[in-house]
Amino acid sequence: MEIDREDGRSQNQLRPLACSRNILHRAHGSASWSQGDTKVLAAVYGPKAGTKKNENPEKACIEVIWKPKTGQIGKLEKEYEMILKRTLQSICILTVNPNTTTSVMIQVVNDDGALLPSAINAACMALVDAGIPMRHLAVSICCCVARSGLVILDPTKLEEQKMKAFAYLVFPNSVHSVLPEGSPSVQGEPIENGIITSVTHGTMSVDDYFYCLERGRAASTKLSDFLRRNLQQQSTNSSKAG
Amino acid sequence: MEGRLANAWRLTVNDKNFIKTALLSEIRIDGRKPFEYRKISIKFGRQDGSSEVQLGQTRVMGIVTAQLVQPYRDRPKEGMLSIFTEFSPMADPSFEPGRPGESAVELGRIINRGLRESRAVDTESLCILAGKFVWAIRIDIHILDNGGNLVDAANIAALAALLTFRRPECSLGGEDGQEVIVHPPEIREPLPLMVHHLPIAITFGFFSNESILLIDPTHNEEAVMSGRMTTTVNANGDICAIQKGGGEGIPQRVIMQCLQLATSKAASITKQIKDAVEAFNTERALRKIKRHPTSTGVDVREKQNQ
Repeated sequence: MEIDREDGRSQNQLRPLACSRNILHRAHGSASWSQGDTKVLAAVYGPKAGTKKNENPEKACIEVIWKPKTGQIGKLEKEYEMILKRTLQSICILTVNPNTTTSVMIQVVNDDGALLPSAINAACMALVDAGIPMRHLAVSICCCVARSGLVILDPTKLEEQKMKAFAYLVFPNSVHSVLPEGSPSVQGEPIENGIITSVTHGTMSVDDYFYCLERGRAASTKLSDFLRRNLQQQSTNSSKAG
Repeated sequence: MEGRLANAWRLTVNDKNFIKTALLSEIRIDGRKPFEYRKISIKFGRQDGSSEVQLGQTRVMGIVTAQLVQPYRDRPKEGMLSIFTEFSPMADPSFEPGRPGESAVELGRIINRGLRESRAVDTESLCILAGKFVWAIRIDIHILDNGGNLVDAANIAALAALLTFRRPECSLGGEDGQEVIVHPPEIREPLPLMVHHLPIAITFGFFSNESILLIDPTHNEEAVMSGRMTTTVNANGDICAIQKGGGEGIPQRVIMQCLQLATSKAASITKQIKDAVEAFNTERALRKIKRHPTSTGVDVREKQNQ
């Protein structure tokens, strides 16, 4: 069953990705991530002394501030902040700098579908740029289920509105290990098969959901490669000394 | 929150003295002369009405959106223009999220005065149905990076976004002509806003020594200077607004000197904005042509036979 997507992409094709790091001067780490026309800017301010009232002072705390393109901050922005915070808390090593707060600020430059996944990818790159210690990176993708039952990846805003259901999925990035025993595994499965975050909208059957996970996982390897190439290229270019 | 205050950035005494001593010999720490502007780069997003301006290390984004609303009772034939500024904590660790601080409010007011009160944007052309429906234009200014002189950069961003914004065309319909039909952009080409002139804000910095005068301060210089003045002028030489809130007292002749300087700078910045907007408009027109591959070409051979 073939589906005609407006921009001529196939079912599993992602939009063109573009990423640049170290674009802001005051922020300790910054990154801009764009998937097609969706563009998000992320900035990180490194560990500051003290944690907020209800946070555990024995661990580092991550604070997320989400700024929409236009309009007041409402419940949707608060929900995105919470999802981003929990995702980043699971990938950062929180025991390294106890009793500190790392602030992550997200600014939406343009929203053309798959906004939350782009923001998670941008935040990850910004954390790398700031030098925050992390266990592994997170790659995020949006899969949606059409009314016909077909699963497509990385929808535009128009496609998202026409779909029956969609899911934002976050996976750990694929690991290239230099150790002879290979990449670390959890209960016999390689670490990149785990799911860090999954947010769904609309109704879909269990089979559809598992199919989405499979497709998402396959696409996340492509995203991991893109991230790795990008990070290796830019690390030879500039340093933030001074 | 104490967490933020603990990391407030302060310039050391040595740094401050160095900046002041260098200025006595007319040298600025980034190598500029006292009356030289930093490099301005104006970029646009894919959508109409979104601009990103970089003034040296300062980075500001401007977004323009429009909505149909009911006009004010005492001005039934005029549209509305409102400016929202938020100092994002992304730009500077000392900016707090939530309610805008006093410098954010001041920035919004300066830009407001320059655009609205000088009638740079024609609000009467925004009226669709007097007393019922007018366009309310909303300008959102997001400060992304604070490298000093946010007012000037934000003003340029607002102007660039306004010049590239297109509002949907609407017509009156219905039985008694009281209904407003908004045409989507695919059916009817959206219209640009009527902007009469471009008010440019130019900021000056004053120091305790009367002979030192700066234009376009960086944020290191802002921490050292003892007074500032923002003049909003346009390329025709009209003064749209002057803002000097407290700080060092300045003699009249210095103010006259500033105004003359501002007018000459405004001319060059106006030209830069207009060039950037024209480049965007040509690119937009090219994109529109590419979007219609189904248009039939003219068959030249048939004409030759006739």
